[in-house]
Amino acid sequence: MMQSCFKNKIGDVVLPGDIFSFELPVTEDGSVKAEKIICGPGLRRNGDEVLVCKSGILRHKQPNLYWIDSQQKRYVPAKGESVIGIVTAKSGDIFKVDVGGSEQASLSYLAFEGATKRNRPNVQVGDLVYAQFIIANKDMEPELVCIDSNGKANGMGVFGADGFLFKVSLGLVRRLLAPQSEIVKDLEKLFPSEIVVGMNGCVWVKAKTVQQTLIVANLIESCENMTAQQRQALFKRVADGNL
Amino acid sequence: MEVELCPILRSFGSEQNVLSRPDGSASFVQGDTSVLAGVYGPAEVKVSKEIYDRATLEVVIQPKVGLPSVRERAREQCIRETCEAALLSTLHPRSSLTLILQVVHDDGSLLACYLNAACMALIDAGLPMSSLFCGITCAINTEGQIITDPSVQQEKESRALLTFAIDSVERKVMMSSTKGSFSVKELQQCIAVSQKASEEIFQFYRDSVKRRYSKIM
Amino acid sequence: MAAGFKTAEPLEYHRSFLKENCRPDGRELGEFRATTLNIGSINTADGSALVKIGNTTVICGIKAELAAPTVDAPESGYIVPNVDLPPLCSSRFRPGPPGEKAQAASQFVADVIESSDVIQKKDLCIEKGKLCWVLYCDIMCLDYDGNLLDACIIALLAALKNAQLPEVTINKETDLAEVDFQKKNRLKINRHPTASSFSVFDDSVIIVDPTAEEEGLSTALMTVVTDEEDRLCMLHKPGGSSLSGEKLQDCINRAVMRNREVSKLIDKVMESVKAKK
Repeated sequence: MMQSCFKNKIGDVVLPGDIFSFELPVTEDGSVKAEKIICGPGLRRNGDEVLVCKSGILRHKQPNLYWIDSQQKRYVPAKGESVIGIVTAKSGDIFKVDVGGSEQASLSYLAFEGATKRNRPNVQVGDLVYAQFIIANKDMEPELVCIDSNGKANGMGVFGADGFLFKVSLGLVRRLLAPQSEIVKDLEKLFPSEIVVGMNGCVWVKAKTVQQTLIVANLIESCENMTAQQRQALFKRVADGNL
Repeated sequence: MEVELCPILRSFGSEQNVLSRPDGSASFVQGDTSVLAGVYGPAEVKVSKEIYDRATLEVVIQPKVGLPSVRERAREQCIRETCEAALLSTLHPRSSLTLILQVVHDDGSLLACYLNAACMALIDAGLPMSSLFCGITCAINTEGQIITDPSVQQEKESRALLTFAIDSVERKVMMSSTKGSFSVKELQQCIAVSQKASEEIFQFYRDSVKRRYSKIM
Repeated sequence: MAAGFKTAEPLEYHRSFLKENCRPDGRELGEFRATTLNIGSINTADGSALVKIGNTTVICGIKAELAAPTVDAPESGYIVPNVDLPPLCSSRFRPGPPGEKAQAASQFVADVIESSDVIQKKDLCIEKGKLCWVLYCDIMCLDYDGNLLDACIIALLAALKNAQLPEVTINKETDLAEVDFQKKNRLKINRHPTASSFSVFDDSVIIVDPTAEEEGLSTALMTVVTDEEDRLCMLHKPGGSSLSGEKLQDCINRAVMRNREVSKLIDKVMESVKAKK
């Protein structure tokens, strides 16, 4: 029964069942001024209160966006998120893609850049695709597309040969994708490499040689449970060739 | 009502994210009793078990030796219904959640330990929950004293054994499973003691999760 | 119209009744369905009873067999309860090995026997370490309409009260058991436990003796077992929405009252059976 103010808790760890109530500021003329907030993942509105339903760190973004940053492993599709999936079946006009959620997502063969009824994209079972969710809610089958709203690929589509795919926690993925991510910056200094990060925890890496690819993959995996100092120390050791 | 409100729990500890394959896992140790829990889900569900408006939860108890018996089945039911009440399973309709509880060692208060391990694993899996829960076992010995978190020896010497699941929001009784006969007054005392003891466990939950997230704060 | 409402929105349908403090079958919130009891309905069993709570029908047969006591308890016999939910009693049960509900009910009955000391197991011993009675209590549901556990415990208790065991002596010379079928003794019933089931609607409204439909819609179920001295033998609440100590106390008070009602019923039926003879 935690009834402290929301704002003092930003950056703190919260647990499911924590409840925040709001003391509405009363303006000078005596009327109550309601404050609007937007609840992101892990927060639910329950009447006048906000209920936490996931464990993690309470985050805030101006002006009024709140969400819980949690480290879970299982991906739950969300509209607009870009993911890396594996094509598992071709059936008629659609491909089935495994993205690690509770249900396989569907991907239409027309949802590729330049695809027409005549000109089908070359996608085989077992291929990797980088795609975006256009439909994702709890009541419907999730649907992916490999084009943006202008019909352009915009980086999405089928992966070429080579490269290495591995899975990490969703928390780490978000840290990698954050603008000006320090991990990515540090990695870039080590080896020039191509890295594709899907919101579903899949990371695809390709560097100059297979050896370098594996080193980069292992380094990313090891970032999971390291503080910034530990990571910098490790990267320095790798850069010096002492590993 | 004169109630001695100083529950003594054996030293307890827990570690989250201990297994690599499950989506959530935790080990929970109370004294010498130890349980390992793993959660899978929300994952694909068998058509026969699909529920159209919420997730299907399955609980499996693996004893230390031998196959699960009727006793384990009854406990699975208790744990499943407790978890169902805490989980917001309507947020993941037509999916399956599987909770596996492996006994590592039994030295009394096993049902309580199952519940605590289950809750830690559910937290780790990041499944949406409306509240947390914890399990506490109370033994009433022949002199009428209440012993919290008893060992196997203390359980054997006791006249009655009560296990409760307490929720974290209102500290009310979510689950109750008892053995032996006891008076109404003793029951109310045990509930009061368990509610008091639950504070300590919930604080422990919070501290463990804090420790886990300390690296990325 | 009402039937359509019931099918489309069963929960709303029940809520609209509960708001008026009554239930779709006309009962009040704290009212049990009519309970009837028939004793000695199976001739081939050593003891039997048939219980009906509303539509829920449960029959219990007791078969006594002679066996050697277990090594860890040489001075006592044992009781083996089993609850069977055949496909006959409801469409929700499938043929095959017992489902979770049947297993949970069997465990519940076993726990009640253990916790309440309904029969002192020492009374079942004939010769220490050599011979004892085993009571197989087979409980079968014939019609399932909720509140199985209450019916099981009433059936069990009545069947145990009805059971008569032949006298067994051990012949000192031959060391063999001799059974005297002419001389039959009743079991010594030590305690009289009674179960009362409650179901919680919308986390707040508590009703007693739920029907199968009410069980399916409720957010929590609870069964309280008390004996004639008002001691609790069992507080079985397998999860569901949480209840405060005060709410539990209300349920226990109702369970104590129910115990009186059931005891009266069993005594009355026992008397009438005796009178007929």
